[in-house]
Amino acid sequence: MEGFDIVKVSYVKELLLKNVREDGRKLMEFRQIKLATNIIDHAEGSAQIDLGATRVLAAVKLQVEEPMEDTPTQGNLMVSSELLPLAHADFEPGPPSPLSIELSRVVDRGIRAAETIDLSGLFIEEGKAWTAFIDLYVLNYNGNLFDASMMAAMAALASAKIPKYENGEGVYTERNEPLKINRLAASTTFAKVDKTILLDPNMHEENAASARVTIANDGTVVRAMQKGLGGSFSPKEIENLVDVSLSKYDELKKVIEQAAGK
Amino acid sequence: MPRQLVIPGEMIASEPVRLDNTYVENGKTFAKVLGFYESEKRQVIPLEGIWQPRIGDIVVGIVVNSRNAVYEIDLSHFTRSILIGSKFDREAYKPGDVIEAEVKDIEDRRTLILWRPRVLFGGTILEVKPTKVPRIIGKANTMIEQISKFTKCNISVGNNGIIWLKGANVPLATEAIRKIESEAHLSGLTEKIKQMLEEQTQTTSK
Amino acid sequence: MADKSNRPQLIVDGKRLDGRDLNQLRPLKIEASVLKNADGSAYLEWGNNKVLAAVYGPKEAMPKHVQDPVKAIIKCKYSMAPFSSMGEHSRSGPNRRAIEISKVTREAFESVTMLHDYPASEIDIFIEILQSDGGTRAAGITAAAVAMASAGIHMKDLIYAVSFGKVGEDLILDLNMIEDNYSDCDMPTAVSPRNNDLVLVQMDGSLTREQLHKGLQMVLDAGKTISQVQKEALQRVYEGRENGNGV
Repeated sequence: MEGFDIVKVSYVKELLLKNVREDGRKLMEFRQIKLATNIIDHAEGSAQIDLGATRVLAAVKLQVEEPMEDTPTQGNLMVSSELLPLAHADFEPGPPSPLSIELSRVVDRGIRAAETIDLSGLFIEEGKAWTAFIDLYVLNYNGNLFDASMMAAMAALASAKIPKYENGEGVYTERNEPLKINRLAASTTFAKVDKTILLDPNMHEENAASARVTIANDGTVVRAMQKGLGGSFSPKEIENLVDVSLSKYDELKKVIEQAAGK
Repeated sequence: MPRQLVIPGEMIASEPVRLDNTYVENGKTFAKVLGFYESEKRQVIPLEGIWQPRIGDIVVGIVVNSRNAVYEIDLSHFTRSILIGSKFDREAYKPGDVIEAEVKDIEDRRTLILWRPRVLFGGTILEVKPTKVPRIIGKANTMIEQISKFTKCNISVGNNGIIWLKGANVPLATEAIRKIESEAHLSGLTEKIKQMLEEQTQTTSK
Repeated sequence: MADKSNRPQLIVDGKRLDGRDLNQLRPLKIEASVLKNADGSAYLEWGNNKVLAAVYGPKEAMPKHVQDPVKAIIKCKYSMAPFSSMGEHSRSGPNRRAIEISKVTREAFESVTMLHDYPASEIDIFIEILQSDGGTRAAGITAAAVAMASAGIHMKDLIYAVSFGKVGEDLILDLNMIEDNYSDCDMPTAVSPRNNDLVLVQMDGSLTREQLHKGLQMVLDAGKTISQVQKEALQRVYEGRENGNGV
């Protein structure tokens, strides 16, 4: 870490001793969320989120493919992410970094576990099913890519329309039928800085954190979790964070539904 | 003062003139940077861009290396700067210390000699656009002193765009500085910032 | 280029499929300084193209062995999002086309950037095509020029780019995807407007000398509009300027 970052990290830690955050937020408060859909007309669904200064664009493309051998009556889901070099000075062009792979896999698991889209519903006929490609494009990085990406992915799915199917392929100029959404998942990411735990860490807080955990839920049950970084949480801490996560569901669901016009 | 936004390649004069941030081609003078052209003063003031060091500039940096009382200070903007300590005070600064100092000499575009150092303990760092620094300081320090007064912060502003802050209300000081940075081209800003600081400090004290 | 035997009729009564005249640009919108972290950036919509360009630097050139002690190097990466085209999802990552476009774009900027003002440094240009409908390299250059200016980079000029092409014997300006696919020629061109020097030239198809002359004239005429849109994008960021700068 560069010298200037070390100064900022010590400052974040010093403030948190008094439960004060650098930007004045409460410990369990999200930054301002701006979410908009239908950003990319060529995609079947798309959404862009501003979570504070973190900006992620999510796009859904649907494509006719052969179902996987072990699930011949289901469609498929493919989530990928790009930490674009234009999003931060430290993001280098090149093959996906471990963070980028972790990010797409965590979002993938959240969508699958919550059964947000019904994969059997994507089956068309023997040998043909829709694959839903979700691309997460990180355009500006200032911490907490997990929640930003999950929310953008949910809104992109919720606003997606399926192309007409004809002669074994998709007719992309005719997209009328909305993609069926079973259940929205909401993601909450917490960072632990020394002994303090906070929601929606910004970049400086992430740099200061020893541990991070992402909890996705559907308002009733936990659907996916991922702990990151070198530190740890106690069982009690995780249980408490699940409570916080569940309590945030309605608020996040509303943001997603409003953006998707539901 | 009449002034006009110019973009790179815009003609400033139909004769050759030696001005900062311009170039001469085929006997004509063109802007080489996005800026304001002030025809009376005949100058092009850049609106963006990296720091262009001058002797006498105050800088804020961080000690990255120390050897035999010669310190290397990171000032960002890919400059290497060197601070030569006193013989009698061999390990005055250690890596990680935040230092305010003055540019004494410019060896080349990338190597500066500093003097008159002062350590800034604790606090945090804010990076701003170097082109906005004069506005953040204000005429005869008016702007920065007013921020300092309302937020009860010690603030050190480097011409290299590094600002050090420590005190009671760093978030408010940061907000004020960011506002100046984004509205630096507007007039009446000192008054506007004062109003904002007054409002914010009143609501928080209630 | 696609099989011309099933070419749709691209021009009917002097109008193109999207209703444009032969020498008419698609609607062009640019917004400068849209990304917080980048030193300079621009978002551009040109017809159905949507492009984001960002500039980082000048900063110390890395790795050190690529440094030039007397001047800056430019690195440029053009890439197309896998969701950018109407139709199927494409593979991400640079292909040969993207690598070539990145190179000629870099060279276009090298021709106007005052590299000697920034010894041992690098300037990074990133161009992301979020939605594509023909002419993305021109759109990328036009956006990147605004991003370069908004990063405060010293340049001789603010370059722009646009392509012209040919359908039968008709010359057309600013080809969209379907025109690009079926035209008899496509010539993306980038121009330094202060002296109309060409800083990027690519062409394939067939053109007579006269058609080349006429096509370039179309480019230069349209360039006035493109340059104006670029400048207005920068003006809007700094608008509200008043007398007295208080400095």
